Amino acid sequence: MIPLLEISDLVKAFRGVRAVDGASFAVQAGSITGLIGPNGSGKSTAIDCISGFQRADAGRVHLDGTAIDGLPPQRIARAGLTRTFQDVRVYDTYTVLENLLVVAKPFATTNWADAFLRTQKFRETHGQAEARALDLIDLVGLTRLTHAPALILSYGQKKLLAFAAAMMSNPSIVVLDEPVAGVNPTRVNEVAEIVRAANRGGTTFLIIEHNVDFITSLCDHVIVFDRGRKLTEGPPAEVHRDPLVLDAYLGVEPGHEPHLARAG
Amino acid sequence: MKSGLSGVGAAKVAAVILALAILAVLPLLTSSNYLLGVAVSGLLMTVAAAALNLVYGFAGLLSFAQLGFWGVGAYCSAITVMDAGGSFWAGVLVAAGVNGLLGLAFGYPILRTRTHAFVVATITFALLCNLVARDWISVTRGPLGIPGLPPPRLLGYEIEGSARFFYIVLGYAVLALCFLYVLETSRIGLTLKAIKQNETLAQSQGISPLPYKLAVFTIAAVITGMAGAVFAFHLRVVDPLIFDFYYMQTFLIIVIIGGTGSFWGVVLAGAAMVVLPEALRFSNDLRMVIYGAILVAAMLLMPRGVAGWIEDRRLASLRANLR
Amino acid sequence: MTIDLAYVLELVLNGLMLGLLYALIAVGLALIFGVLQIVNFAHGELMMLGSFTMALLLPLFGLSYWPSLAMAVIVTALVGAAFYQFFLSRVEQTEFERSILITLGLSMVLLYGAQYIFSATPRMVDTSWGFEGIEIGAIRMTWTRITGGAVALVAFAALYVLLKWTQLGRAMRAVAQNREAALMVGLKPRVVSRNAVTLAAGLCGLAGGALAPIQLVQPGMGQAVIFKAFALVIIAGLGNIPGAIATSLALGMLESWIGGFYDMVWQEGSVFVIMIVAIILRPEGLFQARGMRVG
Ligand SMILES: Nc1ncnc2c1ncn2[C@@H]1O[C@H](COP(=O)(O)OP(=O)(O)OP(=O)(O)O)[C@@H](O)[C@H]1O
Ligand SMILES: [Mg+2]
Repeated sequence: MIPLLEISDLVKAFRGVRAVDGASFAVQAGSITGLIGPNGSGKSTAIDCISGFQRADAGRVHLDGTAIDGLPPQRIARAGLTRTFQDVRVYDTYTVLENLLVVAKPFATTNWADAFLRTQKFRETHGQAEARALDLIDLVGLTRLTHAPALILSYGQKKLLAFAAAMMSNPSIVVLDEPVAGVNPTRVNEVAEIVRAANRGGTTFLIIEHNVDFITSLCDHVIVFDRGRKLTEGPPAEVHRDPLVLDAYLGVEPGHEPHLARAG
Repeated sequence: MKSGLSGVGAAKVAAVILALAILAVLPLLTSSNYLLGVAVSGLLMTVAAAALNLVYGFAGLLSFAQLGFWGVGAYCSAITVMDAGGSFWAGVLVAAGVNGLLGLAFGYPILRTRTHAFVVATITFALLCNLVARDWISVTRGPLGIPGLPPPRLLGYEIEGSARFFYIVLGYAVLALCFLYVLETSRIGLTLKAIKQNETLAQSQGISPLPYKLAVFTIAAVITGMAGAVFAFHLRVVDPLIFDFYYMQTFLIIVIIGGTGSFWGVVLAGAAMVVLPEALRFSNDLRMVIYGAILVAAMLLMPRGVAGWIEDRRLASLRANLR
Repeated sequence: MTIDLAYVLELVLNGLMLGLLYALIAVGLALIFGVLQIVNFAHGELMMLGSFTMALLLPLFGLSYWPSLAMAVIVTALVGAAFYQFFLSRVEQTEFERSILITLGLSMVLLYGAQYIFSATPRMVDTSWGFEGIEIGAIRMTWTRITGGAVALVAFAALYVLLKWTQLGRAMRAVAQNREAALMVGLKPRVVSRNAVTLAAGLCGLAGGALAPIQLVQPGMGQAVIFKAFALVIIAGLGNIPGAIATSLALGMLESWIGGFYDMVWQEGSVFVIMIVAIILRPEGLFQARGMRVG
């Protein structure tokens, strides 16, 4: 069975610094895969290359067997890979609902003329999109704030909104860059529950996180990054005991607990 | 809450109807050519400002190319009538066509540039239009321009007199503003403002910014060019002064004061900024000094314009209530 | 067509003089962009201010050139410092639209204010030198032109020394290079920025003052020059000072050459076409290059 997302020999350098240095890994369809690694190990850069926001210097990316490297980000999003950003991004002046209605995919069957003239077809499509948006808002627990501008949301609520927006196009895989960093610890389990629910709905997840408990409880598979490439991978429990992994987190002697949980 | 909202909507509709009614009977209330002239330039500048608002307020493109389109439109209609023997209406259509092509051809390469580069490139475009108007003497007649534009004709009748010309302008302004309103309140407007707020986020949601920007840039070029084309027949003469930076500054100030991205704010500001100083009889220079000072003050004190300032107050109280 | 050597030489000298004065404006623009990341739309009006100061003070000083020029520089530099203190210092580096609109507003106040007070009518400015000059063979240059060129040359030499070897100049270059790092080594970006704006305004005053007896003085003279200066600075790359000087000289020569031999048509147009092409070809290189090249 081919993996849903396959990355091979990805390289990205900034002025000589190789942030991603020959990374290869795969994400199986239907899984919740974790991507961990020390600060600066190139996780976000790898995601940027995969989702088209940065152009990799070398390497291939396949989504469901089709090469997506070199495509602009919007094409990759429409092909079924969406992402959130480490620095949470939402449209501040838009309401929670509008934040989701902006997403292009649900309106793919309508064109500008439909939108301009508000044709019957457009209104139907809009109705369906709105229904899906309301479902997602319910899923992330923001129903009370449906018509509130995103500006007034808390940091954690914005992360949930960004998550819902990434789900809006019904993508095959969602990449979350640190979904619970900075989120109130009492809320972390709720986020895990939401991801699980979405995963049961058929969406694959690739999750970057420093929070060990979150990753351990949620993921069925974990990839460990160090210095721009994959160090090892496996089930979360095994990976965390791997001496190589302990070494990677600098200053930690084997036998001591690794400080993986920066935000935990 | 609900009834309050529809109350606001009803008030808006009433205000629009009232404003249209006043404008429609304006020529009956006054026979002063001067006042009608003020109304004509006020309407056309408001349309040009509203087009700039589409480009800048919605798509986030601080484009000074509007000045170029405005002047090119004026030249197109003048040349069509004076040299090609076409009618006023043909002139306006030619202006629309030429500006559409120009908008596409210039917009396509230039929209890849950002921030300062985009601004300076669009200024350069406007200046280039000015230079061409001045130097391409065989077509534009050079610095002296094209004087003596005849009044438009409709169904064989000459539309002589300020009053009748005023109705043409009013018709165009209402059409153009309606088009912009429908566009800006549609999903396209929603997408544009999303691109303006955060282009990378929009891309991550499957939106291609370039086609939207190009479409908006071109639409604004066409609307501004047509406004310029009509304006030429108000002036009765077109010369390189049509590219005076003064026009651009006026469009900008209307957009900034009204609030970038606010349709009604810009329309109201357009009316106020053009009509008020005329009523107060400032000299043109003093008016521009005041505009400049207002621009500086607005940027320092309320960078998002009056509409933005009101919106901020609203959000602040919302936030206070919900926390 | 027979080309008269003297005529050619005269064109070259005129072009050189014009180019040097353009370069003063362009260098100031490049300096402000380098240090503050602001495109100063009021730059041309600062030059106009210098010209008007010169024009108004000359009669008071009994038409004597140097004290009037010195005052033109001082007044314009002070206005520049005030600009920074009251307006530009309140704009963040990332708020490029605000900085553009604020400087645009300031340029409107200055331009139309001058028009309101002095009217748009161009005025001739007379110095005690009148139209005296020197003649070498068939070539004639007035003193005002020769002095204008010489003053610009001296200003460039001084600027080079200042930016390259003084603490003041090094600080400017450091801030242009990396604001955060400059902050960490104890430089005060605000002080440095104010110095840069004051210096750039002073250069404008110098150019304006020197141009006053050569050209007609009128409120719109700044706008005519500033857009050309934009073009120059952009073709050279914003923040690139020697590049700005070189392109200014090239433009001065080009203008006087084309103006001397061909029709006006496409003369300036060609510059703007080059500029649009330059922006399209390398927008990032031109505008996002951090730092400031001095030489
Ligand atoms: N735009 C850039 N320019 C220069 N260097 C960069 C850039 N983006 C990232 N880097 C460098 O690349 C390396 C990898 O950064 P990246 O953000 O991918 O790490 P990360 O694994 O996501 O870290 P974190 O866990 O802190 O988010 C770092 O050394 C970083 O400084
Ligand atoms: Mg990261």
